[in-house]
This record gives sequence, C-alpha cells and structure tokens, in this order.
Amino acid sequence: MKTQKVLTEVESKELLAKDGIPVVEARLARNKKEAIAIAREIGFPVVLKIVSPDVVHKTDSGGVRLGLANATRVGRAYSEILSSVRQAYPGARIQGVSVQQMVPPGVEVIVGMSKDVQFGPVLMFGLGGILVEVLKDVSFRIAPVSKRDAGEMIREIKGYPVLDGYRGQEPASVTALEDLIVRVSEFVEKNPQIEELDLNPVFAYPDRAVAVDARIIL
Amino acid sequence: MSDDILKQFDPVFYPKSIAVVGASADAMKAGSYWVQTLVSAGYRGPIYPVGSRGGSIAGLEIYRNIRDIPGEVDYVIVAIPSRSVLDLLDDCAAKSVRAVQFFTAGFSELDTESGRSLEERMVEKARWGGFRIIGPNCIGVYCPEHRVSFLMGAIGEPGCVGFVSQSGGIAGKLATNGMARGIGYSKGVSFGNGIDLDASDFLEYLAADPQTRVIGAYLEGTRDGRRLFNTMREVSSVKPLVVWKGGRTEVGARAARSHTGSLASSPSVWSAVLKQAGAVEVHGLDELTDTLLLFQHAEHWQGARVGVIGGLADGGGGISVSAGDACTEIGLEVPPLSDQTDRALRELLGEVGSILGNPVDVSQAQFRGFPALFQAIETVAGDASIDFVLIQQDVDILLPMYSRAGLETINDFFIELRGRLGKPLVMVLPPGPVEQERLRLEQKLLAASIPVLSSVERAARAIFNVNTYFRRREIEAGQRDAA
Repeated sequence: MKTQKVLTEVESKELLAKDGIPVVEARLARNKKEAIAIAREIGFPVVLKIVSPDVVHKTDSGGVRLGLANATRVGRAYSEILSSVRQAYPGARIQGVSVQQMVPPGVEVIVGMSKDVQFGPVLMFGLGGILVEVLKDVSFRIAPVSKRDAGEMIREIKGYPVLDGYRGQEPASVTALEDLIVRVSEFVEKNPQIEELDLNPVFAYPDRAVAVDARIIL
Repeated sequence: MSDDILKQFDPVFYPKSIAVVGASADAMKAGSYWVQTLVSAGYRGPIYPVGSRGGSIAGLEIYRNIRDIPGEVDYVIVAIPSRSVLDLLDDCAAKSVRAVQFFTAGFSELDTESGRSLEERMVEKARWGGFRIIGPNCIGVYCPEHRVSFLMGAIGEPGCVGFVSQSGGIAGKLATNGMARGIGYSKGVSFGNGIDLDASDFLEYLAADPQTRVIGAYLEGTRDGRRLFNTMREVSSVKPLVVWKGGRTEVGARAARSHTGSLASSPSVWSAVLKQAGAVEVHGLDELTDTLLLFQHAEHWQGARVGVIGGLADGGGGISVSAGDACTEIGLEVPPLSDQTDRALRELLGEVGSILGNPVDVSQAQFRGFPALFQAIETVAGDASIDFVLIQQDVDILLPMYSRAGLETINDFFIELRGRLGKPLVMVLPPGPVEQERLRLEQKLLAASIPVLSSVERAARAIFNVNTYFRRREIEAGQRDAA
C-alpha cells in the first residue's frame, strides 16, 4: 500500500490557484502576530483555520473561526484554535493557522476527484452538506471533462433547482461552475500524482464560483 | 483504417477453416461438442477435429496434432485443460493459424498468480506467432451469415445487430432470445477474460462492419478503462450502442471477479462513463433485447411523442390509463391529439365507454365493426402531433370475440398500416392464456417489421432508450455544424 501525503489547505490552494482555479486565498500564519498582520492586509472580516496535516475534521475540533472583525478577535481566535485542536488531536503537528477573507455566503457545492481502478480520475459534483452526505446526490464523469459534460453533471443532480435560486437566494452561475469543473479536470490530468482532490465547499454566486476549502492527497 | 480492421477480423468472423482441439470419439467431451455444433450450424468450410487419441467424430478424421492437418487453418477452438495450452500455441504458430479461441477456463478468473502469468505468456506467444486470441474462458464467435455458431441446433437469421459479451451464457441468451424475438444478428462474440482481443477491439470492428447497424454489449469489467471509454464514444457516434453492465452490486461485482477476473468500479462511475460515451445503458437482458429490437426497426430518431392505443376491445380503459402513466413516468410525451382527430373519433366511436384523448381506448368500435375500428386506429396513428404509435393488443380478449380469422384481419390491417404510416408502430402483446396464438401473431408482426414487446412498461422503456440515443446524436450533430 502506497503511503498517502495529505497537502494542507494552504498548499492545496496554492497549487490550484497557480492553474487558474478560483480559490479563496489562504495564507499561513505561524503565530498570533503574523495572523493579525495578514488579516490587516487582507481586510476584515477574516476566517482562521487550523493548518495541520493531522487534522482531518477542522470544524469539529474547533479549528475554524469565522467572521473575525478586528485584530483583537483574530488574536484571541488564534489562541483558542490552537488550544482546542491540541485537546482534540493530542500530538498533532500544527504548522499554524491560515488566514483568509470571509467571503459572502453563496450556494454551497462540492467538486471532487478520486481515482477509479478501471477508468482513472473521476470527477464528482454535488451540492454541499447534507445533500451529498445523506442523499448521495452527486454526479460523476471521467476526466477529461468537456464543458458539455460539466453542464450535464451539474444539471443531472436532483438538487439542481437549488442552484437555480431557492427561497430568495440568488441563482448560481452554471457557466462559472462548468468552467471550474473543466479546469479541475485539466488540473488533475496534468498532475497524475494527485490521488484525490476535494473542493468542499465551493461557493457559487450569480457571476462566479470560488473554492472556500480545498484538500489534495498525493 | 476501417478496411484494415475488417481484414484483420476476417479470420475471426469469416474463417475459411476451423480446427477444434480437444475433440475425441467420445461425444461427451467438450471438444466433441464444438465439432457437432459447427456441423449442426451448417458451417461450410473444412472442420478439423484434433485430439491426442485420434479416431473420428461426426464422420471427420481426428488429427493427433494441429500440425498434422493437411490444409490451412484460420481459426482454432481450444477445449483442452489450461496446463497444455502453451505447447498448443507453439503448434498454432507453426501452423500459421490466424485466430485461437479458448473455451478452456482456469486462468486469471481464479485470481491466482499462476493464472495471470499463464495469460501473459499466452499473449506473448500470440504476438510472436502472429495470431490473435479470443478468450480464454469464452464461447467465441457467432456469425449466422457465415454459419458459425456457439449454439447447438438452430442458428437464427442473419441481420443488422452485432453484440459483444464478456459472458458466454449471456451471449447464448442474446442469440436465442434474438431467434425467438425476430432480432437478426450480423455477428456476436463472447470474449471471456479478453486477454488479447477484448471489448474495445470487437466494438471497433462492429463499428466498421458494414453488416452491423446496431450494437449491444454485456460487460463486466475492463483492463483498459480509458481505451474502452474512447472506443465506446467513437462507436456510439456512428452506431447505436446499448450496454448492459453486469456486476453493479457488491455481490455481482464479487461474482464478476471470479467469472471473468474483472475489477470493480462503482456502479455510478460505470453509469457516468456510459452516459459520457453516448452509449445507452440498460439494466438486464430483457431491456437489452427490447432496446436492440426497437433499434433494429427504428433507423432514425423519431421524436418522443407517443400515441397510445390502450385497448382494441374490452378492458382497454385501465390499460390506457396505465399506459399513459408508464410512458410519461419514463420521460416520453403523450400529447393531446388534434381537435380534428378528436372530432373524428367522437363520430366513429361515440363518447360512452371511450377514452378519446391520448391514450385512446377504441374498444367501443367492437359494436360498430372493423371499418370503424381500423379508421379510428388510422386516425390516431396519422395525427401529426405524435411520432410513435404504441398499441396494446390483448389476444386473449380478441380471440373469443373475433375468432382466429378476425385476429388475422386485424393484424393484416396493422401490417398494411405500418407499410404506409411513415412512423414506427410498436405492438404490445401481453402473455396470457392463448399463448400459441399470441406467439404466432408475434412472428407475423415481427416479419413485417413491427417490433413486439410483452408489456407497455417495457415498450415505453425501450422507446425512451432509442429516443435518448438519437436525440443526443442529433444535438451533437447540431453542435458540430455550429462549430
């Protein structure tokens, strides 16, 4: 069995951004002072997330803090994240926290890739949260995925009407999602060493889509 | 390119001579079965039985070694234990044979290192010897036109449907169901473990083969998923490709591994691959044969609007209602008919006891005679708002009412109508207590290019499959024109 290497969110997003896949940039802060400085540069409000190759469930372990509106809150959140993660994952290697912009809410979707024994890289699309986990409402295509394939993936899921604007929520741009899926397909084809990829969630807006969290496994 | 592939497969589907290795004077041996099968199929070329003990079978001399055969040998069927196959392949190379099919099993499907390495050495020998391997663990080739078959007994009429099957059992079922249901095959093949020629090779061939217009496939797995995907995409852009993937569940996948040594992908990945390749996915033998039958009779996309005639005599009400449900639920349209049609039906049938929309229940015509019945059917069938006509005919109801002669008249009318209608007519003949009469009518209608299915649900599913394929192809053609 090959040993897997899980890239951190910061590393994953760097690779993705280089290939033109829209991500919310995450910068690594090794201490409280750096976190505050980065937050000032990005502009408040910001999000802080734990950066550790050993922490799989960042939110469950108290490793994520959202909507931090000023330097004081960023500083406090930094300490709180570190102490609760250390409690949940004793011995975890912690590189620091990532600081990123707090983006406005959009329709949550996920885009992923896993390798199939017979067909190689398979792309997955679904709506975020419960619809993926409980209802398995996802669609698949093997790479390379054309724009039309991507369009079919998006429209194929049962939850598609949610993307079309639901309860006053603004509709999500199908074109932007198609484009993102095609770029991810090109990305995984170009990097065959990638075994698994998760953009979860991606926020879809009326005019664009952006990956809020990302994870790559080599 | 396509000439090359046709030439390359000529010795596989049109062999000039066939040797059967593993034959003996004992009729119970597998090799002897193959000799008798070829004889019963009426194969016209020389058949050379080969067996270490010599003697004769079916009036044919048994040669002790393939090298002893006086004439040239195109195709070899092997039915000897797996431990002897490597020596045999040396003999085949010495004899300059073109293709070797292994009925013999006991290779990678056993999931052993020795099984896998034996297969590798067989492929090496084939490369070196300049011949191709079909199988192992398969029943090989079916080509009614050339009178080559894997079935003892009836061989069936040649036609335009080709198939590839990883399983011999399913290949046999496809052939026999085809004979019973009027599906004519150009050629078919069971390729088992597919160590040399596999699904992709045969699909490429069938796509190029001028005799083949529609292709069905039963697959359990593939060694080269990428190639299979690319092949299926190319094939389905020129001919309808209908695929049944076996081993969709965990239990099925486990069985597929020991059946043909196939690895498992998730069923959703297979479904995605088939859709992406433009193939039609079906989920069983019934749906596969139903869909192939319909493709055989529907050469072009006809649209998704169905006119349903649910009853020709008594009992048509509920059948019409449920037929409307079956079509609509699967994604076909059952549009209202024109005002003109509506008026004409009112006049012909009267309103009491009739359903005059779509689906239509024309059973009231039983009180007004055949002219009214036929005119009502023709009015519905001719309505410009429908593309397909789906008729349920309950032979058990019609026979006591009209007698056999009446049934003949009714079906002669359908055949005549089909000839001038310009749109497909699909007939549902549900099984019932007058099976012989029903089967006779089925054959009569099939001979006149009217596909016959056993339930409205199955018919609706098959019509939907045919439509999905042609609609997709039309969209792709549109996109190419636009580009």
